[in-house]
Amino acid sequence: GREKVQSTYSVKIAAGAVVCVESEIRGDVTIGPRTVVHPKARIIAEAGPIVIGEGNLIEEQALIINSYPENITPDSEGVEPKTMTIGINNVFEVGCVSQALKIGDNNVIESKADVGRNVILTSGCIIGAFCQVNTCEVIPDNTVLYGSGCLRRVQTERPQPQTLQLDFLMKILPNYHHLKKTVKASQNPS
Amino acid sequence: METLCPCWVGEHPAEPKPDRVIYLVRGEKKTRSPLSQLYFCRYCSELRSLECVSHEVDSHYCPSCLENMPSAEAKLKKNRCANCFDCPCCMHTLSTRATNIPAPMPDDPTKTTMKKAYYLACGFCRWTSRDVGMADKSVASGGWQEPENPHTQRINKLIEYYQQLAQRERQERDRKKMARRRQCMPMAFSQHTIHVVEKYGLGTRLQRQRAGAPLSSLAGLTLKEGEDQKEIIIEPAQALDEVEPLPEDCYTRPINLPEVTTLRQRLLQPDFQPSGASQLHPKHKHLLMKRSLRCRKCEHNLSKPEFNPTSIKFKIQLVAVSYIPEVRIMSIPNLRYMKESQVLLTLTNPVENLTHVTLVACEEGDPEDVNSTAKVMVPTKELVLAGKDAAADYDELAEPQDFQDDPDVVAFRKSNKIGFFIKVVPQKEGDTDVLVSFKIRHDFRNLAAPIRPNEEAGDATTEAIWLTHHVELSLGPLAP
Repeated sequence: GREKVQSTYSVKIAAGAVVCVESEIRGDVTIGPRTVVHPKARIIAEAGPIVIGEGNLIEEQALIINSYPENITPDSEGVEPKTMTIGINNVFEVGCVSQALKIGDNNVIESKADVGRNVILTSGCIIGAFCQVNTCEVIPDNTVLYGSGCLRRVQTERPQPQTLQLDFLMKILPNYHHLKKTVKASQNPS
Repeated sequence: METLCPCWVGEHPAEPKPDRVIYLVRGEKKTRSPLSQLYFCRYCSELRSLECVSHEVDSHYCPSCLENMPSAEAKLKKNRCANCFDCPCCMHTLSTRATNIPAPMPDDPTKTTMKKAYYLACGFCRWTSRDVGMADKSVASGGWQEPENPHTQRINKLIEYYQQLAQRERQERDRKKMARRRQCMPMAFSQHTIHVVEKYGLGTRLQRQRAGAPLSSLAGLTLKEGEDQKEIIIEPAQALDEVEPLPEDCYTRPINLPEVTTLRQRLLQPDFQPSGASQLHPKHKHLLMKRSLRCRKCEHNLSKPEFNPTSIKFKIQLVAVSYIPEVRIMSIPNLRYMKESQVLLTLTNPVENLTHVTLVACEEGDPEDVNSTAKVMVPTKELVLAGKDAAADYDELAEPQDFQDDPDVVAFRKSNKIGFFIKVVPQKEGDTDVLVSFKIRHDFRNLAAPIRPNEEAGDATTEAIWLTHHVELSLGPLAP
């Protein structure tokens, strides 16, 4: 297939998103409106593009990475770039690592949690602090993983979207940080 | 770093680390513990462990709101806090959160105003009181009730009946004892009867009587002889032939795993023991207590904490580390079977005055030396430890005292600490840890006020007595 050089991609930031200039965003990344990306957050699209929806909150030192699976080298043939999709109203707390290819809406990945590549988060899931989830499964709606043994329970209601926090940050962050320029999402690459 | 006392019986965590340096306590039961867990009775001049002291409850307090409670009140509330709740799911403390809900105004039903509604939520597992169907309350605290146990009445009746029975038994026993002995020893009475009565949980009042109280005051609290007492009759429990049958789909119905409660969650609510997670109601938080320790021989207090739950200090704190020199292992070389190696130990002097320490190897056939697996050669000369000088860090002009240490024995010296060598010859091959033991003999001055050493204690007892302790060191496995 065609060989694409990663460095030619630019980050597409929709209008209304607040992305601090100290954050590191590499590769083909699309960020939706009303999303806040804190400084020192890292979004790295290595093995494929990342599409982030609206209203997401990505805090400091969070790492969202679309990386190659362990046993495949970057140069091997026949590797289809898979797109990582992240829905709306998700929260990636400080220091978390997310490699999950498909994340739905209203999820919360708490501090220092580690979500593996083969996990699919649906809606309303909460991955507790420092929980390492590297199973190969779909986590059902409204599941909470907590504790050192990653115990689970099901909530009756989904976690609330952090609208207040997002509004506050969108007002305050530009006072202290430079922001990356918003770029209209380009047409589909031909 | 976590240390486990060897006498603790309970759920052990993954890998309890062995205590490296342990001291022997010569009490009724010979216990061996690290010095940090021991107490020192300076009236008896002996080491005490938690097992050879008597524990007394000082006060009860709630660990989250730090509210103090006298023992009687705590007993009434069944040792639970009135304000704080535990999450039934993960046993964390629940916090009260507020939301704004539109509610119709009292004057005008058509208009709505924002009113605050409170609910309980757990920050750890995200459980909320709405999960079990508890409605939001309009008051921030005091609105939450635990569900009532359906068997409360029967249980209370049974308790009353057994308390009455216990009283009767105790009275009969006391009558018998009084008849037998002329000189009644009140101490023997009170202690014995207190133990008996405690069987059925009677009597904070009886427990409060200190040993030595005369018997008549005890009798005064309970029934007088001949007084009519309402006879409590209970119906015996009835055994039923028929038992509720299991539901028909018991074997075929698929299990909804998130709904099943864990054993721990279930047993923390012994009233109901619900099998479904949607019936787990929050319970009030258990109180913790502050305890004071008392030497059993001389009845002096060894440890008395401050009454205020916010304070972690002690009024009386006779811990062993502030009186006995502490031995610590500094470095262990590779140990080989039947080969002599040098181990570097440190000795720290906790008191303000000069201390002389002599180490003596255990003799053959020493009854206290049961565990050692290696021979040890300790320095024969007396070691001198400087006193602990609190201002040593700040006083740079202080002249270092000249002790003329033998460099073969003393490796270094630093204020009140010295490092010295011992020679170890492991005697056992295999996987077992190398254990050595020796006796440490030091002089102890029982100062009148050890907290203020600079005071002129002219006529205070400054004569030293020599104490000997048996120390065991665990040096780890042999080198492969």
